[in-house]
Amino acid sequence: MTKVPKKIVIRELKNSFGSKQVLSGLNLDVFEGESLVIIGASGTGKSVLMKNIVGILRPNSGSIKIDGEECVNVTNNVREKISRKLGMLFQGAALFDSLRLWENVAFGLISLKISGREEARLKAIDHLKKVGLSETDADRYPSEISAGAQKRVGLARAIATNPEILFFDEPTTGIDPIMGEIVDGLIVSSVRSLGATALTITHDMDSARRIGDRIAMLYGGKIVWIGKTEEIDSSRDGFIQQFINGQVDGPMAGLITENSSV
Amino acid sequence: MGFVTATGRACINFLTATGRLVIFAGVAVSHIVRPPFYSRLVVRQIIEIGFYSLPVVGLTAIFTGMVLALQSYTGFARFNAESAVATVVVLSITRELAPVLAGLMIAGRIGAAMAAEIGTMRVTEQIDALSTLSTNPYKYLVAPRLVAGVVMLPCCVLVADIIGVFGGYLVSVYKLGFNANMYIKNTVQFLEFIDVFSGLVKAAVFGFLISLMGCYHGYYSKGGAQGVGSATTNAVVSASVLILGCNYLITEAFFSR
Ligand SMILES: Nc1ncnc2c1ncn2[C@@H]1O[C@H](COP(=O)(O)OP(=O)(O)OP(=O)(O)O)[C@@H](O)[C@H]1O
Ligand SMILES: [Mg+2]
Repeated sequence: MTKVPKKIVIRELKNSFGSKQVLSGLNLDVFEGESLVIIGASGTGKSVLMKNIVGILRPNSGSIKIDGEECVNVTNNVREKISRKLGMLFQGAALFDSLRLWENVAFGLISLKISGREEARLKAIDHLKKVGLSETDADRYPSEISAGAQKRVGLARAIATNPEILFFDEPTTGIDPIMGEIVDGLIVSSVRSLGATALTITHDMDSARRIGDRIAMLYGGKIVWIGKTEEIDSSRDGFIQQFINGQVDGPMAGLITENSSV
Repeated sequence: MGFVTATGRACINFLTATGRLVIFAGVAVSHIVRPPFYSRLVVRQIIEIGFYSLPVVGLTAIFTGMVLALQSYTGFARFNAESAVATVVVLSITRELAPVLAGLMIAGRIGAAMAAEIGTMRVTEQIDALSTLSTNPYKYLVAPRLVAGVVMLPCCVLVADIIGVFGGYLVSVYKLGFNANMYIKNTVQFLEFIDVFSGLVKAAVFGFLISLMGCYHGYYSKGGAQGVGSATTNAVVSASVLILGCNYLITEAFFSR
């Protein structure tokens, strides 16, 4: 296999909120065209990591490079150029509630001037159909559909512009297993057929196995384990064992008391 | 010691907030003049601020004009100056009452709505989503509201001028027994361009302040429903105080010789 270039390179990334250190010197490489799944207990900073990469949060220190280009502390113009390569599904979907579903999905197409309004509408309806919504749903507003459906619209919005790097924050949470499998399939096909690089956060190990080329585990503000998806079950790593078997006892035991005291 | 620390902290907080507000305003204004322009959003805000505010502005103006006529008539009767009622009504309305009262009413209506809408977008991560879709939130959310505020407040105040004067006319002619033609003649006779113009300048400034406060407090709101609630309150209160303060400064700039 030829050497695959690195799409995202993160070094010594630190991010804290007040006195709470969420990321403490995190290092991570993501290769071009791979699908990396990030797992980890609730509140370990998975969403924070993702928001640092897409530029919504500013790290306290450290470096994030996308395609070799530094994206920490850069001018707005550079930032905007980078953000064109990215698409993100938020954990809470974050649909624009003043816009119809198709306008949500078409938003990037229109703002990047990829399509005119009419053409964007047709493309948006196509994408909505892919995530299991109908043409009649396209004219409804986000508040009129269920949370699971909102999540799927958010997914359609993230992939609509065919970005080079896709970020999915818990794409299948709150979605029934059948639809979940369809969503997983959609993520896989975005990576395989469109050549995108994908980062997915999930708690669902079945879904992680379906979509991940590699899996990384976040704990204590760092990546404590990273490896191929096939390797995860044979891994003897304490963190991984505890996480995939859902045991209370293990190296992360301290976490439970730590969180409940907050 | 505790007192000194508290005072110092309050000062620093105040300066930080002021600086942040000035930067916010500067960035937002810079986005008004740089493409792309979201004309669809500007039109929507213009309708929201201008058109839907007309009923409340009209009601405020007509009652103000009416009470003004009544008050100045009963007051001026003490020194036989009833004939000045028309002039007093039109000058007070155009210079002061229409811009200030319309400004305060619209601050309550629009400032609150903007803070609540943008604040909700902030806490539900919609503003973050905007930037991941290559759209600048200042340009998309703030700039159209500032433009609409600056354009529509003077329009509303012009309407309020007319309705307010009409309210004074109604009371003077139908209740106090003034001659209709004389009243109109007196109204127009002493009215100067600068009276109306200064009122419209005030309105434009107030429109800017209302939109700015609504957007600023919404943009920096945090912490869910409670945060949005206090952003809304802060937007209305700060816009109202700024309106009253700036009203004095603009009046001084126009009329103190
Ligand atoms: N805006 C913020 N202000 C203050 N603290 C924050 C903020 N965002 C996140 N945090 C803190 O960062 C920690 C990590 O949050 P994050 O949302 O990344 O968790 P997560 O790993 O995505 O969890 P989950 O799986 O439940 O989504 C939390 O404990 C939270 O206290
Ligand atoms: Mg999360």
